[in-house]
Amino acid sequence: MSSISPFLDSGLVTTPDTLALVHLSRDNIQPVYLREGSGSVDGYAEGAVINTRFGSFPHSTLINKPWGSQIRASIVDTGSRGRKKKVEAEDNDTEGTGAGSGAGAGAGPAKDLKTASSGFIHLLPPTPELWTTSLPHRTQVVYTPDYSYILHRIRARPGMHIIEAGAGSGSFTHASVRAVYNGHPRTTEDRRGKVWSFEFNEERYHKMKQEIEGHRLDELVQMTHRDVYNDGFLVDGQSPEAECVFLDLPAPWRALPHLARRKPTPSQLASGGLDCLGGSDSEWKSPLRADRTVYLCTFSPCIEQVTKTVEIMRRLGWMDIETVEVAHRRINVVREKIGLNMPTERGVNQVPGSVAEALRKLKEVECRSKEFHSQDQDTDTDTKINEDEEALNEAGQGTEDAPMAKPWTAGRLVHRTEAELKTHTSYLTFAILPQEWSEEQEAAAFEKWPCGKENKVIGSLDKEARKQEKREMLQGKKRKKPQNDASADAEDAGAGPALKRSKAT
Amino acid sequence: MHSLVEPNAWVALKMPAGNLRVLEIAPNTTISLGKYGSFPSNLIIHRPYHLTYELQDKQAPETFNRLRIVPASELYSDILSSGEVSSSTGEATPVSEDAENAVPTGIEYSLVDPDSGAVVATTNRAELDASARQTLTMEEIEELKKDGTDSGKDLIAKLMLSHTAIEQKTQYSLAKYKLLKTKKYIRRFSVLPLDVALLDHWLVEEKDPTRVMDMREEMIGLLGCWANVHFGGEERCKTDVLTTGGQDEVEQEHGQDQEEQEPEQSTGRWLVVDDTGGLLVAAMAERMGVLYQSEKDKAIEAQRKARLSKQRPHEPGSQPTAATDGQSDPAIKPAVGQVESEIKVEIEDQDPTRPQSPETNKKQYNGEGRQRWNDLHVPFSQTNTLTLIHANSQPNLSTLRYYDFDITNPSQGQTHPLAKHLMTLSWLQLLEPQLDSTYNSELPTATPDELKTWKGTKRGTYHRKRRRWAKVRHTIDSTRQGEFSGLVVASSMDPVSIMRHTVPLLAGGAPIAIYSPSVEPLTKLADCYSVARRAAWVAHPPEEAIGKSIEELEQWAGTDEFPLNPSLVLGASIQTSRVRKWQVLPGRTHPVMTSRGGAEGYVFTAWRVKPAEGKVEARGKARPKKRKAEEVDQVGQDGTGS
Ligand SMILES: C[S@@+](CC[C@H](N)C(=O)[O-])C[C@H]1O[C@@H](n2cnc3c(N)ncnc32)[C@H](O)[C@@H]1O
Repeated sequence: MSSISPFLDSGLVTTPDTLALVHLSRDNIQPVYLREGSGSVDGYAEGAVINTRFGSFPHSTLINKPWGSQIRASIVDTGSRGRKKKVEAEDNDTEGTGAGSGAGAGAGPAKDLKTASSGFIHLLPPTPELWTTSLPHRTQVVYTPDYSYILHRIRARPGMHIIEAGAGSGSFTHASVRAVYNGHPRTTEDRRGKVWSFEFNEERYHKMKQEIEGHRLDELVQMTHRDVYNDGFLVDGQSPEAECVFLDLPAPWRALPHLARRKPTPSQLASGGLDCLGGSDSEWKSPLRADRTVYLCTFSPCIEQVTKTVEIMRRLGWMDIETVEVAHRRINVVREKIGLNMPTERGVNQVPGSVAEALRKLKEVECRSKEFHSQDQDTDTDTKINEDEEALNEAGQGTEDAPMAKPWTAGRLVHRTEAELKTHTSYLTFAILPQEWSEEQEAAAFEKWPCGKENKVIGSLDKEARKQEKREMLQGKKRKKPQNDASADAEDAGAGPALKRSKAT
Repeated sequence: MHSLVEPNAWVALKMPAGNLRVLEIAPNTTISLGKYGSFPSNLIIHRPYHLTYELQDKQAPETFNRLRIVPASELYSDILSSGEVSSSTGEATPVSEDAENAVPTGIEYSLVDPDSGAVVATTNRAELDASARQTLTMEEIEELKKDGTDSGKDLIAKLMLSHTAIEQKTQYSLAKYKLLKTKKYIRRFSVLPLDVALLDHWLVEEKDPTRVMDMREEMIGLLGCWANVHFGGEERCKTDVLTTGGQDEVEQEHGQDQEEQEPEQSTGRWLVVDDTGGLLVAAMAERMGVLYQSEKDKAIEAQRKARLSKQRPHEPGSQPTAATDGQSDPAIKPAVGQVESEIKVEIEDQDPTRPQSPETNKKQYNGEGRQRWNDLHVPFSQTNTLTLIHANSQPNLSTLRYYDFDITNPSQGQTHPLAKHLMTLSWLQLLEPQLDSTYNSELPTATPDELKTWKGTKRGTYHRKRRRWAKVRHTIDSTRQGEFSGLVVASSMDPVSIMRHTVPLLAGGAPIAIYSPSVEPLTKLADCYSVARRAAWVAHPPEEAIGKSIEELEQWAGTDEFPLNPSLVLGASIQTSRVRKWQVLPGRTHPVMTSRGGAEGYVFTAWRVKPAEGKVEARGKARPKKRKAEEVDQVGQDGTGS
């Protein structure tokens, strides 16, 4: 199916007109929309070309390659493009990247491309993680450590509908559409996972819409240009019927009154310093799914925003409110090369790796100075010392602090936190809104599940009750084998009944 | 997840102190909350999740305690009012330990004057009360609890009042003191669905963190994202023998497009190594949408079970049911026998008029019958699958029982999505399949005439063996063909050894995510892909590698210098993440004071790549030490460190 987004199913090889990510280094990954090389583009005879500090890569060398392929740089004739471009190329500029830049049209692909003697890149298929590190930033974005936790906590699973505001640069949007995706709807009634994304800034809205279409996600992401503080979350008067909500807005509490089960009362809002919502109570429609718990997360950098948000959440009946911050660190792994026999690295002074090494070195120095002061040194002794030294070095081999043959296995393996650390992104405030449950519903359920005929006790029992249970169970066993003891004392049994049973098998 | 609490669902009861009790909610039982009291399970069945209940006293003539739904306005009343008070007068207010446990403070607010029963806003009224000075003994408290008058509120009031030193306390500690008492005795709880997030929270925070390798929620989130685990495409069953009739009913929901889009290749297949007892599998299955049975599937399954127990005695001559399977041949692994009998049952359902005599069965064997009876039909989907590699002869997936899936249970139904989407094989089956007795055996075959002469049980065993053979074949062969979409690991085994055998099975560009409770195994792994080692692999390839093709080098056996082929993996990095909770209350917002220690938890991530043929020179000169990440030269371009 060609219409499926490369984010959801990239296939095994790169194809024209899809997004690929060119991996230059861990922190330098560039999005490229691959275009079939046809005729000259931007003065390149080869068609569209990516220029990096690791060489030039015509798109034609990138298409129809298995994902993950290492691609060698090509020798590209920059002749007609003049000096200016060349300078840019050296500044790690990439040509022909980005969605909009003009695709070349014309005759067949350039032939006789020569492989350069050095330089390469790797091609990776798009994922929200790679996109997040490479997307064009228009706003602050939500990064993987935060969104992975948020989506897990708000139960964004296949089939869910999620409301997101504001869309910003679309980092969270891409992660959330992957989370809720469970196929494309076949009919209008076919309810599939969907993202309802709202953005107030017109330019960002248009950019996002373009990107979503370019990534073939437009069937799964509904973009709406909207000020959600004032105008809420209905789209064309229809409710998204969302189970999950993510608010990355400066004042999430101003959006909350719209995210209720029924229209908030003026007193609920006034006490929180908010204006009343327009419209009559009866025609008010909730954007939330009525028959499910709704999970919400707000994302705010400042604690004052959190305080205000939590207060309004309480007034509006949100439960299990919890605020956290995510502390994330990347870890670098290095080989710490300390010791006199370590392979030398530029600018690194060798220091002894152990007391034994230090002693050896000190003795050496001591010995040398003695020789020096004895005046009668000649070339013979000099050589002798050198020989000693060599012998010493060789003797050292094989001991714990010996030099190793290969530099990449030498030294002690250690890890440390990356050099630059993000210590705060935002506060994440989670809350849930249970479904409403009317007295009529309760009465009906009570009718269907009448009480008073309980035949045994489960859960945590006090000692007396437990003894009684046991007595009854033993008696019961004599009569017939108990049908289901699995539900009993889940809490108290070592690993829960299920686990106990499976251990036995 | 379901909208309401289903009968026999596993749920967690969240108690006033915030701790969880995990229970299977059997209908018509009494659920005991220990010292808090008890109530009938039927009062929470077919009710919504997340409501906050308060246990009420028995109302004669009823013999059970009813539940009251506590509205949010009541739960938060004093926090909200205190917010207003504190902003105007700066007066201190009751302290809740954290926001989510703010629940009991509502009660506190309303209990202060036990005599009049009126709601009093401050504790001053109590101080004035002469009766406040009298101290209650533990016995008296127990007595009061037995009375159970008014859900413990009176008790708390009396306890508060009985605290003689109350006025000497600062407002702050007074509040704290009250709250602790409230938490301990108030009879409130809520019912939460036992999804993966909650299950993990319970296992890690309360139950047994080591059994799940201390894998916190942050780690589960990172693993799922970095391994790009998601719904992997519409269900497509192996098409060599397509099912019709009975099966369709089950598959309709997902399987409609079997004709529309014929697969070019299987997609959305993830490889898993899981030593967390199935928690990792559950988490990934949840992301793929194959963990929960739909309500419809559940109903089918319940019918099937009922039928199975009813029909068993009536059909001794036909194929044995799963239960008799186990009895006739206990040596057969129950995990494998399970699904096939299910297909048969579905067929019976579809065609209730089918006579159950051996005679009609024969027809089918003679070739007139329906294709779906073919033993070689493999029940697995080709997309959206998890393939688990396990170290023992049977996988340990005990955690999946909370989701009604038991791979070791012969009567496990086929309607559970995991039955179609989870395949398991051992390292032996993966690496040396010729040593696996089933894989190595011939497909048992018999002519229709032979079959006719056999007894039912013998025929049953014959078909079961064939089906088992087909399943094992399919699992092993399809796994060994590779092209997996990603690799997720949480294992106590050395990750280097896992990578050696799994990386070649990944499609190009496939992401890799490996969890470890401690960092050391991952630093060792990352070091196998260090900049220096990668450069050396190209510049000074080891003797053993010289003259080998790329394909041969994919199977690199590992040496001391190069434990893994470093050119097969890109972007190796390690990260860790941990959330810190905050208490958010008017005027008293701060991070919580304590949290759980133990294993920190780390995730290794990387991508599977395909090196170009021949020697590939890097470009770019080594830069001076202090360089920006972006300016790393090419050898270092995907390095794990400086
Ligand atoms: C920090 S950005 C969101 C970043 C996004 N979560 C991401 O991961 O890329 C906040 C966005 O909210 C938008 N916004 C602010 N107020 C809004 C409102 N009332 N309605 C809709 N969007 C709004 C802003 O225009 C901005 O683009």
